Amino acid sequence: MFQNFRLAMAWLHTWFGLVLGFVLMVAFFFGALSVFDREIDRWAIPQTRFAPQPMPSFDRVLRPAFERMQPSRDSVDSMRERVEGEMPTHFETVRRWGAYTTHRDPVLAVFAGYELPGAKDPEDAVWASHTMDPRSGALLSEGQLRIGSEFFYPLHYSLNLHWRDLGIWIVGFAALVMLAALVSGVVMHRKFFREFFTFRPGKSRQRSTLDLHNLSGVLALPFHFFFAFTGLLIFAGLYFPVGHSQLNPLHELHERLEAQETGLPHQRAGVAAPLASVDAMVAEAQRRWAAKGMAGEVGFLAVQHVGDANGYVSVYRAGTDRVALTGEGMHFKAATGELLREDPPRTAVDSVNEFLTGLHLQHFRHWLLRWLYVLGGLLGCVCIATGFLFFVEKRKKQHARDGSAGSRIVDALAVGTVTGMPLAVVVMLLANRLLPAELAGKGDWERALFWAAWALALLHAAWRSSALAQARSNPAWREQCAAIALLAPAAVLANAWSTGDHLFRTLAALYWPVAGVDLSLLFGAAVAGLTARKIGRAGAVAHASALVHGPADLAARTGAALAEVKHG
Amino acid sequence: MADPASHSAALLLAGAALLVVWGFAGLALAMDAHWQQVFGPGPGGQQAPSTATRRLLRALGSLLLLASLGLCLSVDHPSMAVLVWLMLLAGGALLLAMILAWRPRWLRLLWPVPNAPDSRPASPGPR
Repeated sequence: MFQNFRLAMAWLHTWFGLVLGFVLMVAFFFGALSVFDREIDRWAIPQTRFAPQPMPSFDRVLRPAFERMQPSRDSVDSMRERVEGEMPTHFETVRRWGAYTTHRDPVLAVFAGYELPGAKDPEDAVWASHTMDPRSGALLSEGQLRIGSEFFYPLHYSLNLHWRDLGIWIVGFAALVMLAALVSGVVMHRKFFREFFTFRPGKSRQRSTLDLHNLSGVLALPFHFFFAFTGLLIFAGLYFPVGHSQLNPLHELHERLEAQETGLPHQRAGVAAPLASVDAMVAEAQRRWAAKGMAGEVGFLAVQHVGDANGYVSVYRAGTDRVALTGEGMHFKAATGELLREDPPRTAVDSVNEFLTGLHLQHFRHWLLRWLYVLGGLLGCVCIATGFLFFVEKRKKQHARDGSAGSRIVDALAVGTVTGMPLAVVVMLLANRLLPAELAGKGDWERALFWAAWALALLHAAWRSSALAQARSNPAWREQCAAIALLAPAAVLANAWSTGDHLFRTLAALYWPVAGVDLSLLFGAAVAGLTARKIGRAGAVAHASALVHGPADLAARTGAALAEVKHG
Repeated sequence: MADPASHSAALLLAGAALLVVWGFAGLALAMDAHWQQVFGPGPGGQQAPSTATRRLLRALGSLLLLASLGLCLSVDHPSMAVLVWLMLLAGGALLLAMILAWRPRWLRLLWPVPNAPDSRPASPGPR
């Protein structure tokens, strides 16, 4: 079919890259934002702007709050179908209480699962989940969207397409193809290795775009490879659902056997029992971690079968100081506080798996590495964006001559992705600061505005794309850059106006979560503004050929421009 | 192992980043195309490093990269240090590429000794 291996690789790289590049661009960009998801949350929810807190006392703070909790109306409604008979109005039997925090969280995520009387599947439960201020135990009002961890982060791995996990499958497929694109890219651009560090901004636009494409692809190759690979690994259980679908009966059996082996009861005993001091259990767990040379804070705390003689408390360590995502769990009998089980040392396979997942999920404390991950993600964006530009640049004259719309469509989609996506982010953040906090369903409005802005950007790019028919550049590139340059500082101003946390104050207080988001917005605005000006100037000089500094380094800048909402 | 949040850790990591750029500068100068960018233009410009210079540059460059790994290891847990180092390699290489693109002569500061005037330029390396 192809004359040689290299041509086959080129075909694969070009066409798969083109189709899935759009998905990968979303994954890279929102992955880069997710590195600082908690910080973006602070920016978006001003009442949570205080210093990170350790896990509070269970006995004094968490327990009273848990006892007041009841499942949310949404959760109850969603389970109505799966129950024989009436839904109760009050849920008595607590299957599980849980509290989760990290070294970057001022607020605590708490949840409770309740048994569902009359459930068709006895494994089903109804859930309540809240955000808690650990200093007082107060539950924060619902309906406020945690834009970083609740919107950008899931967008990164699922495109927020939750129907049958469709989004996770699409991103997974794109990641798999990306591994192939990396290999085929190295094969087809192998000449690059002779002049490894080459970027020639002064050469033709096609040449400099390709330089940048190769550079951003190869320099961050280990990053690209490991993140695509570990991303797939994290969802391996979903992609190969051996446990829960194909072998469901075996899975149940396995759970029972595991319960026998670990001594942690799988079922309630049906005998009421009190709950001993959980704080004492936490202290014991910390003493045992320290004895192993792994002194640390509690990251996750759970009580299973609450109020039952079979109840037990699990205490997991926060993964602040190492890459591998391990909990070193300690499990105690809830009624007495007696240690039931200490998680055994891990097997080699587990260790590798935990290291690889931990590398991607970044629970550790290392600000330099976090920023380097952002750089890696943005280099991925630059690589894909320049790939699109090169595709268009190489074909647009030919297509204009033939009257083909190919490069025109690709270019419009590229505008919508490369500048439209950060534009939608900026619009969402601006809306977050302008909409009143007490607005019902504020989060839904923010989501809607994000998608609306993105859709408008795409429409705008398509509407302006007729320039490509004359082999010129789409003016939407410049216009959307200009829009970012205007709206990003507006978001910074809106933050100062609505909360009083202007940059002088946050910088003076060294409050980096908010100062960082503000500075990143300003940086993104500057890059977008300079790019818009450069394209404009080049466009004034000549329509067709002199655009040397236009889209070629637009891509370079977009990468940086994408730094938009970033920080640490 | 230094406390990763301390000032000395920050200094050590900054040192590691500098060594990465310097190390890559050595490796880049060992390539004809990049040597030319730095030493080529102007009167008496040189098109390629001599064989001895090339060898020296490669050795020094690799050594500096290894030294930066050492600095990373002195700050963090080894598993973390390797990640930091790999990502510094990406960032450092990018910075070097940008220096070569916009300000190639800056690299003369990092390698102030071009070929000795009497040494003959080497035959171009394997293509």
